[in-house]
Amino acid sequence: MTMKTLKRILHIAGNDLRIMVSDKVYFFWSLAFPVLFIVLFGLLYKGGGNGPAVAELTVVNRDQGRWGAYFLEKVKSPGVEIKAVDEEPEAYNRLLVLPADFSAKIEARAAQSLALKKREDASTEAAARVEARLFQAIARVISELVLYGEGDLLKFWDGHPEFRELVRVKTRFPENTVTVVPGGFDHSIPGATVQFIMMMVMIYGGVTVMEDRKKGVMGRMLFSPLSTGGLFQAKLLGRWAMGMIQALILFVVGKVFFKLDLGNVRLSLLVIAVFALAMAALSVFIGSLVGKEDLIIGLAVLLANVFAALGGCWWPIEVVPAGVRQAGMISPAYWAMDALHKLRFFQGDFAAILPHLGVLLGLSAVLSGLAARYFKIRD
Amino acid sequence: MLEIKSLTKSYGDVLALDHFSLELKKGEVLGLLGPNGAGKTTLISILAGSLRDFTGGVSFLGKDLFSDRSLKNRMGIVPQDMAFYEELNAADNLLFWGGLYDVPRADLKKRAAEILEMVELSGRSKEPVKNFSGGMKRRLNTAIGLLHKPDLLLLDEPTVGIDVQAKVSILDLIRKVGAAGTGVIFTTHQLAEVEDTCSRIAIMDRGRILAQGTLVELIRLVGEKDIVEITGEFAAAAFSEALVDLDGDGVELLSASDNQAALAVSDTDRIPKILDRLFRRKLAVTDLKIKTPNLEAVFLKLTGRSLRD
Ligand SMILES: Nc1ncnc2c1ncn2[C@@H]1O[C@H](COP(=O)(O)OP(=O)(O)OP(=O)(O)O)[C@@H](O)[C@H]1O
Ligand SMILES: [Mg+2]
Repeated sequence: MTMKTLKRILHIAGNDLRIMVSDKVYFFWSLAFPVLFIVLFGLLYKGGGNGPAVAELTVVNRDQGRWGAYFLEKVKSPGVEIKAVDEEPEAYNRLLVLPADFSAKIEARAAQSLALKKREDASTEAAARVEARLFQAIARVISELVLYGEGDLLKFWDGHPEFRELVRVKTRFPENTVTVVPGGFDHSIPGATVQFIMMMVMIYGGVTVMEDRKKGVMGRMLFSPLSTGGLFQAKLLGRWAMGMIQALILFVVGKVFFKLDLGNVRLSLLVIAVFALAMAALSVFIGSLVGKEDLIIGLAVLLANVFAALGGCWWPIEVVPAGVRQAGMISPAYWAMDALHKLRFFQGDFAAILPHLGVLLGLSAVLSGLAARYFKIRD
Repeated sequence: MLEIKSLTKSYGDVLALDHFSLELKKGEVLGLLGPNGAGKTTLISILAGSLRDFTGGVSFLGKDLFSDRSLKNRMGIVPQDMAFYEELNAADNLLFWGGLYDVPRADLKKRAAEILEMVELSGRSKEPVKNFSGGMKRRLNTAIGLLHKPDLLLLDEPTVGIDVQAKVSILDLIRKVGAAGTGVIFTTHQLAEVEDTCSRIAIMDRGRILAQGTLVELIRLVGEKDIVEITGEFAAAAFSEALVDLDGDGVELLSASDNQAALAVSDTDRIPKILDRLFRRKLAVTDLKIKTPNLEAVFLKLTGRSLRD
């Protein structure tokens, strides 16, 4: 590509952006409306607080010694309410069973496992709180044993590693999701961003490709030394930039007004950039195939919202049943949101989001190919 | 400067250009006159590079037009549709469109101001184009094609559907551009436009050029004859038949359609005879006009058709 070609491509893409941002209603759609979503879903799925205020824990204490009751005393806390029962009930939210030899094993310093069961649809967040509380209780019991037993805690740990493994709590929550449910503005801002990238790029990008064709504007551009390929790249670039601008607006607003934390800004922007590329290609494709403004807008709103809902832009995908979550994978938004959640909530690094980037890049390639194949300059 | 050799283009069965050839010199303003469907837009589209699958060749500034993309920098094209951004103002439109050509930015700004002056839009150059009248939009549409100072300017019906003032302004612009050395080809249906704007006129129909030359040269084709236009109530065939014995006797049938016909007469004293023949056949005449030879007569003679208004 020569400098002159590049200059022409930037010129056209820049002009598309300029026309978009000078549209008065643009700021309603790109700012006011998404902020509404951010606040709504941010409050609805509050970070770290969507479980019940007090987590109930049903306990069957079959222990024949004294340590079981003692242990349960330690588990009690303002956030965890213990409901003692004699037999394992049919219905419970969370259930802990202390076996008959609980005390015996402690006294014998033998390792043992406790099972914490959770009803499938009970709050994961509450379960996580209970689990944390159990760990605390275990630690306390152990440290007390140690204090009463040998005196010096620090030295004791060095000499008796077996005590660390004295009691293990086995849970059935999927790995990595036990302690964190994405929520709050750190979830809802990326969610609205992904949703509105889809919507704005498809609407503004698609409609302008269609209008520029109908008005003969694209045809006229080719009177200049610009090639058809150059025009396509310019349109793709312009729409990609539309998506990036949408993301920047919401990220900046998020940072300033909602203390947004993306986890890793650079990798988050990389995810957004690849996602925006796929949407840019989709918008050129739609703009080439569809000849009516209403139809493009309808299609854009429909696709953007279905993809947003399925892909976890609204409620965190972590709270939906596994089947729904799997179905969400057909939504491009899923791959963007899951990658962003990995970066923010699950200490994800580049390697963790590599599969997501791969899927989004593949999607971009396929959609760009389709858009190029059906790119229509004149009616 | 421009040499079009035997361009042929068909759409399915329709032959839109039929071995069309034409030459144009620097500074020449050529009016391409043709009725609906003559192939004018097809020709412009091929030259503009927006139509493919044709045969024949075009050389421009000594090079093959279709193999050297940079030649497009030397060519300005004004399409029949208003193709620009309604959301932008006139000045920004010019800067955008001019920016697609290899013109330095500073020159472009200067040039845009000049052009706006030329098309009398300077006063409203900062207003969104969507507020413009049809005539103002046409002038802007034309201005866009001129921004990069092309050596060749092609305009497809630049004066369609606008008021007289805007039309005069555009034709004026075309004349000025030609006088400054740019070659111009513009298509039109309007005889009056070519009569006083062009240095050369070409009449085309069914994809070919039927005649070309200066206005005087073309008028000579009908000879020193007057044109008689007759309106009435008659069928085309009956009309032709009624006058068949006058043919060659100082009367030439230029065109005959139902209720409307045109004749070239060597002398107006033929008119009573003509009317006599028509009355005898009971063909009603409601109107009769006598005109001195003009381009319209040439056109009628060559194509047997009148131009669309
Ligand atoms: N895209 C097309 N598909 C099929 N036929 C076409 C197409 N474009 C033009 N034609 C036909 O080619 C012929 C020449 O058309 P063209 O548009 O070049 O005429 P024109 O001289 O510009 O007419 P007008 O004065 O109406 O603008 C006509 O018979 C027209 O019907
Ligand atoms: Mg035409």
